[in-house]
Amino acid sequence: MSLKQTISIRSIVVSFIVSIMIILLLGILLNFTHGLEPTLGSELLAINVSSTQSANSVTSVVTYYRGFDTLGEVTILFLSIFGVSLGLDSFDKKLNIFSYENTLLKIAVDTLFPIIILFGVYVIIHGHLSPGGGFQGGVIIASAFLLMFLAKGDDFKINHKILGLIESLSGAGFILIAILGLLIIDRFFANFLPLGELGRLFSGGVIPLIYIFVGVKVSAEMTALLEYFIRIKDVR
Amino acid sequence: MLDSFNQTPFLHIVITVGSFSILLIGLVGALSKKNLFKVFLSLAIAESSLFIYFIGMHFSVGKVAPIVADGVTRFGSDMVDPVPQAMILTTIVIGIAVLSLSLSFVIRYYKLTGKMRIDEMDELGENR
Repeated sequence: MSLKQTISIRSIVVSFIVSIMIILLLGILLNFTHGLEPTLGSELLAINVSSTQSANSVTSVVTYYRGFDTLGEVTILFLSIFGVSLGLDSFDKKLNIFSYENTLLKIAVDTLFPIIILFGVYVIIHGHLSPGGGFQGGVIIASAFLLMFLAKGDDFKINHKILGLIESLSGAGFILIAILGLLIIDRFFANFLPLGELGRLFSGGVIPLIYIFVGVKVSAEMTALLEYFIRIKDVR
Repeated sequence: MLDSFNQTPFLHIVITVGSFSILLIGLVGALSKKNLFKVFLSLAIAESSLFIYFIGMHFSVGKVAPIVADGVTRFGSDMVDPVPQAMILTTIVIGIAVLSLSLSFVIRYYKLTGKMRIDEMDELGENR
């Protein structure tokens, strides 16, 4: 088998036509206008202060106005991790194939690991004030564990009972907040906490709580996913 | 001279051409590569063009991010639409989920059969 692979003209032509059609169709369907007409987004921006008091309006769209959508998204991520780990017997019989002996990495990881975790926690907690949030901070925390996997090799093991407990408890907390909104106010994902003042850490009602639960859940799921793809070799 | 580039129609043309090229690269890779890993990663590349197109076409010059921070004191009409950004956040997470699930299926398939290329797949007996 030669290293040089031939790309057929037909695939290039087909991809070219399909790409043009997709881009044109999206452009026509979405009908991009330049802020002349009132859209859903401008309406949401107008009521954002009075209804959520969250400084980051993307966060209020994700967790409050479209909170049900985020619940489905988290469920899809959970189902994906569940499908990945189906049929996986045990991590005890697996070897880490991506780590290698590097003194600099081994020494630096002990200093860098808490700092990256702290940065991820900061991004999660300040999700309603600044760019960032649960998903982004969760991935940052998982990247800290990726660094540990790369540096420590087979010595670094994660307790999967605790990981599964964290994941299921945070998912249950997410739904519990939504049901509390249904019980206390009148609808799913209603805001039952005081709104606070715009720009403070304790503001936005339930939005920081929801994003903290999402962040913990995403970090646990991403860590499990990383461990699956890194410890992949069977012990012979 | 740089002001002539900092116009909304020009930036939209750049974003359209760029996302079109990324989609083309991804689709060519998905159609012509035989390795299953490369096929799924090409699909992920093609997916990322959608993110760029969707976010970029909702941007226009002079608008700021929909976040109240330093220098921006109130929500108003000089902010970009927050709904597409929230939708793309959802799409990115779902893309990661689908990509990880498909790559894990590739690994499972390789462990079961020892094959990784599309043109060697013969489990259903179609090449006999």
